Amino acid sequence: MSTPAVTIERAPRRPWYRREMSAGSFAFVMNVPTLLCLGLVLGYPVVYAAYLSVHRVGLGQLRSGVFAFNGWDNYGRVLEDPLFWVALKNTGIFTVVTVGSEIVLAVLIALLINQAGIWTSRVTRFLILLPYAIPPICNGLIWSFLYSFQFGFLNRILFTSGLIDNPINWAGNPDTALYAVTVPYIWRTLPFAIILVHAALQGIPRDLYEQAAIDGANAWHRFRHITLPMLQQIIAIILILRTAFAFAVFEEILAITQGGPGDATWVAAWYSYKITFSPPNNFGMGSASAFILTLMIAAIALVYMRFIYRRVTL
Amino acid sequence: MFKTTPTVRLLLHVANLTVIFFILLPLVAVFIGSIQSERALQADTRRVLPLEVTLDNFTVILTKGQQRGRIFDQTTYLPDNIKSFYTAFLNSAIVASSVTVLTLLFGSLSAYTIARQRFRWTLFLMQANIVARFVPVIVLMIPLYVVMRSVGQLNSLSGVIIAETGFLLPYAILILAPYFDTIPTELEEAARIDGCTRLGAFFRIVVPLATPALAACGVIMFIISWHELLIPLILNARPDFMTLPVVIASLVGDVHVFFNLMMAICLLALLPTVVLVALLQKYIVEGLSAGAVKG
Repeated sequence: MSTPAVTIERAPRRPWYRREMSAGSFAFVMNVPTLLCLGLVLGYPVVYAAYLSVHRVGLGQLRSGVFAFNGWDNYGRVLEDPLFWVALKNTGIFTVVTVGSEIVLAVLIALLINQAGIWTSRVTRFLILLPYAIPPICNGLIWSFLYSFQFGFLNRILFTSGLIDNPINWAGNPDTALYAVTVPYIWRTLPFAIILVHAALQGIPRDLYEQAAIDGANAWHRFRHITLPMLQQIIAIILILRTAFAFAVFEEILAITQGGPGDATWVAAWYSYKITFSPPNNFGMGSASAFILTLMIAAIALVYMRFIYRRVTL
Repeated sequence: MFKTTPTVRLLLHVANLTVIFFILLPLVAVFIGSIQSERALQADTRRVLPLEVTLDNFTVILTKGQQRGRIFDQTTYLPDNIKSFYTAFLNSAIVASSVTVLTLLFGSLSAYTIARQRFRWTLFLMQANIVARFVPVIVLMIPLYVVMRSVGQLNSLSGVIIAETGFLLPYAILILAPYFDTIPTELEEAARIDGCTRLGAFFRIVVPLATPALAACGVIMFIISWHELLIPLILNARPDFMTLPVVIASLVGDVHVFFNLMMAICLLALLPTVVLVALLQKYIVEGLSAGAVKG
């Protein structure tokens, strides 16, 4: 006796484009655009910048397409250029002043707009993000109008309120110019810091304060022993992010001083820009100086990732 | 929460007024500067409020220099870039919208897999994004200029769009990934059991749930892209392809352009993003803190 053959009906095999992908290949396919973008616009140029920085590249070489290898020559010339060191020093001062003031101001203003019972605090909170909307180049031009020696709006206000008798040359004086350009930069980037601190303030449990008040702590003690420790992490984040970005300041310098007067406001990004894109267009030296800047910022970025973004696994 | 004495309240009001003054000072300056003539600005250098109010600065920009009004009646020279305001505005809008769409699309695909699929390489990708966010534009611009020049992509909007998308994508992923991580997986699993593919579950279940995060990320991308100067400045030198920030930057150092005209074009350029910030403040605040802290 033979048993009839049982045929199991199987679902027809789906064509490949309707088949379910494995988790691994799905993740890879989803990331193809990102990997392409990162590779083409970030990875490749950074590597190519390193390549350019060890070759002799000027306009003539760009036309012929032949770049001669010249070793550490570009780096040597950058490091021997006194202007580069001036630019680096100015960048350092600029960064310390802007980041330092931003952290102090951000904590103070975040505490201020956190006062729900004060109606002017609500007005401030409503306006606080406004500078974030201003294009950096417009911000620079507006401040160059504010700072103008002859026609400036700032001098007008000070004249009218009787605070000065003679006009002040805010951005034209080599001693004050660098500090003058920090103010517009702080103005534009402060909202970011305030918002982060304000968000962190919301996360501090209220009963901590109530408990402290029962224990007889005054406002300063509450700030010193509760608020400040709870803000420590966010302050570290702001410190690192703002330091890295202040290192590469460009627009405000272009609009207000163009590096002047003299070399008083030459900063690192401005140095690379001028060396590269104004005659005699030394692309090799420009890349070398930009690469030095990048290495310094990369060190900051690694610190950020190592200590702050530690919970990167999500 | 705590009782405040009248003195403290007064001090807080004073502090608030100081902050408000500082926030509004440049905005008042750009407004007052733009509504008066060069002559009025020079006539009395100690006056805050304008001697006379005129809209001629805006007229000359918005009519491409055709209607000069009283102020520019006698001027023989107007920078060509002032006349290309509409082209520049349109270019800026095209670039910013394209960059927003592309970064949102690519960014959400990546951020979702980073949040959901824990492989060693997705973790590495996230770390690469964190580091990439710090890369300064200037170091990219020199090689990008050389490359774009050699492939003939200088002076095109697509070159700028590609460069800005690549530059902003890591930031978009940093903003989006923490949000995707908070969406519960049960909904997707249910959809998958009902026969939805992984991609289908992403587009039909996750994307609709993530609308607030996409809005937050999108508005931030649009603003940064609208503001970006260095990328289009270096890649595009022809007036047809300039964006607004490039046109404005070209006025720097032009001795024939006085502050009033500059302030007028600045005011026109900053209005779109000011409107965005005023309307979508809540989303921007969420996006900014998500992109910096969570992880």
